[in-house]
Amino acid sequence: MHSNYTRRDWLRSASMLGGACLAGAPFTRAFAAPAPTVPVSVARCRTYDPKELLPVMARMFDQIGGVGKLVKGKTVAIKINLTGMTEWRLGNLPVAETHFTHPAVVAAAVNLIGKAGAARIRVIESAWSTTDPLEEFLLQGNMEPLDILHAAPNVEFENTNYLGKGKKYSRLMVPTGGYIFPGFDLNHSFADCDVFVSIAKMKEHTTAGYTGAMKNCFGNAPATIYGDGAGVDEPSPTPRGGRGSCFHDGLRQPSKSALQEKNTHTPRLETYRVPRIVVDLVAARPIHLAIVEGIKTITAGEGPWAPGAAPCSPGVIVAGMNPICTDAVSMALMNFDPMGDRGSPPFENCDSILKLAEDIGIGTRDLKRIEVIGTPIKSAVFDFAKIRAARRANQLQQQPVKRG
Amino acid sequence: MSAELTPLRWPGNWKDASALTLLDDTPVNCLVADKGAVPESVAAQARQKGLPVVDPAAPPAYVFITKGEWPGVEAVQGDTVVAGPTGNPWVDSNGWRIRLESVRHPGARVWVDARPKGPVSRDSYPLALADSAAYGGRWIISLDDRFAAEVAQGKADALAAWKKITAAAKFFADRKAWCAYEPEAVVGIVSDFAGDNEYMGSELLNLVARTNQQYRVLLKDKLSPASFANLRAVIYADVTAPGPAVANGIMAFVRAGGLLITHPKWGIVPGMRASNQDNDRYIWRTSGKGRIAFAKSEFDDPWAIAQESVLLISHRYDLLRFWNGGSVGSYFKMAPDRKRALVQMLFYADRGPEDTGVRVAGNYRSGKLWTLDGKDSKITIVPQKDAVELHLPTVAQYAAAELEV
Repeated sequence: MHSNYTRRDWLRSASMLGGACLAGAPFTRAFAAPAPTVPVSVARCRTYDPKELLPVMARMFDQIGGVGKLVKGKTVAIKINLTGMTEWRLGNLPVAETHFTHPAVVAAAVNLIGKAGAARIRVIESAWSTTDPLEEFLLQGNMEPLDILHAAPNVEFENTNYLGKGKKYSRLMVPTGGYIFPGFDLNHSFADCDVFVSIAKMKEHTTAGYTGAMKNCFGNAPATIYGDGAGVDEPSPTPRGGRGSCFHDGLRQPSKSALQEKNTHTPRLETYRVPRIVVDLVAARPIHLAIVEGIKTITAGEGPWAPGAAPCSPGVIVAGMNPICTDAVSMALMNFDPMGDRGSPPFENCDSILKLAEDIGIGTRDLKRIEVIGTPIKSAVFDFAKIRAARRANQLQQQPVKRG
Repeated sequence: MSAELTPLRWPGNWKDASALTLLDDTPVNCLVADKGAVPESVAAQARQKGLPVVDPAAPPAYVFITKGEWPGVEAVQGDTVVAGPTGNPWVDSNGWRIRLESVRHPGARVWVDARPKGPVSRDSYPLALADSAAYGGRWIISLDDRFAAEVAQGKADALAAWKKITAAAKFFADRKAWCAYEPEAVVGIVSDFAGDNEYMGSELLNLVARTNQQYRVLLKDKLSPASFANLRAVIYADVTAPGPAVANGIMAFVRAGGLLITHPKWGIVPGMRASNQDNDRYIWRTSGKGRIAFAKSEFDDPWAIAQESVLLISHRYDLLRFWNGGSVGSYFKMAPDRKRALVQMLFYADRGPEDTGVRVAGNYRSGKLWTLDGKDSKITIVPQKDAVELHLPTVAQYAAAELEV
C-alpha cells in the first residue's frame, strides 16, 4: 500500500501534468487521480532514553514497510530542525526539549537507517546565520554530535545555510512550476542524496499555523541567497539573518544568480507566501521519509520567541513515507483538523501548507484515506487546539518577533 | 599606602570640603585629580582624613593607570545604530585592558580612567565599577557633572545612586581573596601587544573575550613552559614571525598536544605532516601530538580570527557557555587550591536577562550567587557530564557564582 515516491517518480508524474501548471493554474483542476496516500505510524514514547526510543522507532519503521528498500546502498540526507539561535532557550529548558529536533531521535533514525544499509548518511540543517559546522552548533546547544556521528557508519554533518562543502549551488526545479518560485539554488547536499528524510518537531507556527515535516524544509533554502543579508547579484559568502525580507514579506528577491519569483504582483503577505514557498521547496526536494517528533515540545509557536510559548510533553512520534500524510496525522494528534484551511485553527490567518501541497498532488491530508498503524490517534492526542483556543481567547497571541 | 585603594576622581563641581563627608563610611579612600584641580581647602582636609590625592600623571609605583572606555552596550551612535559584525550589539569593556596591563605590570593595581562623556544612566555606574573590579582592576569612580552636582546637593535619587556605587565598591573591596584566584583559560594569546602588533593583539583580547572564550595573556618575551599550562590552544598573530625562543616554546606546546593558530608569516616548517581538516581559511598541519592551523592569508580581521579560533579549538572545550545571556561578559577563576571556582558575569545592558543559564566545565557540589549589593543567594545547580549548569535569577549588572568542588 505504501509508495516509495522518488524524486524521479515525481519528476515523471509532474512532467505529464506540467501543462496544467503553466501560468499558475491550480494543479488540482487537471489532476484527476486522488492524491497519493501511504500508511503512517504513530507511537507513544515518553522519553529520549535510547532504550525506549530505539525500539519504538524500529517498530515504526517496520510498520511503514521498512526503510531497507528505500535506503540500502543509498546516500541519505536527513534534514533536522534547529530553528533559531542555540543561545535562545525557553526558560532554562534544553533546546532539544522545546523546539529543536532532539539529537536522540536523530541518532535513533541514523542508527536504523544505517542498519538498513544506507551507504552514507548526511545530517543537514541550515544553522541560524552562521557557517559554523553543525557539530559546533549542536555543542553550543549542549547537544553531543558524537552520539549521532557514531550511530552508524559513514555519518557526516553539513550546514546547508551556505555553499558548505560544495563547489557550487545545486538548482532544484519545482516540477509543477511552483506557486512562488520555479526552482531553488540549494546546498549540494539536497541534490547529492538519493533519499531525503525530514525529521521535524511537532509544533505550532506563528506564521504558518503548524510546522512539521514539510515546514521543516523552509530551512532548506540557504540564507546566502534567500536571506536578509543575501548578495544582490551573487550569493553572499556567509548567511546573515533569516529569510524575512525575501521569503516572508517579498520585499526583496533572491540573489540574481538564482531563479526569481514567478510573479511579483502576488500578495506580499507572509501568511500567503510562507505556506506556498514551503510547498515549492518540498516539491523541488521531495521527502521520502517524514518523522515528526513530539516527545517533548512547545505550544504556541516554533520557538521560545513565540508569544505564550510553553513546554509540553505529548509523548508521541509520527512517521510515514509521505510528508502530507504524516503531517496530517501529526496535526490530528494535536487535535487540529488537517482538512482545515485559512480561517480554521491553526490556520486562522494563513493558508494551509497541507492543502496547498495536496492541491499539487504530493499526497492526501484526508485522514479517511490514511491508514494509521500503531497507536490510534484518539488515544495519543495532546490537545494543542484547546490550549491554543484558550491562549487566543486571552489575547496572548501577538505578532511574531522572529522569522526563520 | 597599600595598593588596595578605591579611587574617586574628585568632581570639578565639588568645591567645598564638606563634600568629603560623602565619602564617610564608603570604601573610597583615595582622590584622583589633575594637579591643581582640587581646591587647597579640600586637599588639606582630605589629608587630615588620611585620603591621599593622586595626580594621574604621576601615580604611585603600585598603581598603573590606563585609559578606558565607558563600558556597556553601545546601541546608538549619533543617528546610527551600532552593532557588531554579527548584528549583535557592540559591547565596550575594559576587562581586556586590565588583564593585559596586569600582566605587563605585575604587582601593580591597574586603575581604569574611563569617564562618562556626558550624562549617563545612573544604572551604568555600578557596571562601570564592576567591569574593572571583576578583572582585578579598579575603576576611578568618575561622576558626570550633573550627577555629581545632585549628589552634592543631597538630592535623594542621586544619593541613592551614589550609595549603589559605593556599595558595589565595598563589595569588591571586601573580596580581596578573589584577586588571588587564578584565571582559567582555554586559549593563550601570544604577542608583545606593542608597535605594529598593538592593534591586532589588543583587539584579539577584546574580541575573544566577547565570545566568552576564556583566554590567557601571554607576553612573548616572558614565555615559559608554565605559560601554556592547561591551555588547549594559542594564537600567534603578530605581523612578523617569532624569534627562535618564542617559536621553540610554542612548538613544544604543540608537540605536547596543543593547537597553534597562526598565519603564513610563521612559515610552514618542512617535515610537518598535513592533516585532512583543511578548510576555506586554514591549512592544517600536525606536529607531535598537536596541530597547527595556518591561515591561508595574512590575519587582518581580529573579529574573524576570534570567532574562528573558537571553532578551531571547538566548543567542546568551552569552559563557560551561556543561554539567554544577552550581552554578557565573563571571567572564570579558580582558587589556588582549586577547590573553589568563581564565575563572574557582567550584563552590559545594565540588567541581566531572564532565565539566564550558564554551563560551567567541571564538577561542583554547591554554590552561591553574589550580587553587588553584597547579598548572596542559593543557586540552582544541574549536574551534567563533566560540567554543571547554573540557572540564574534575574540580576542587575553583575553576578558572581562561587562554586565548591
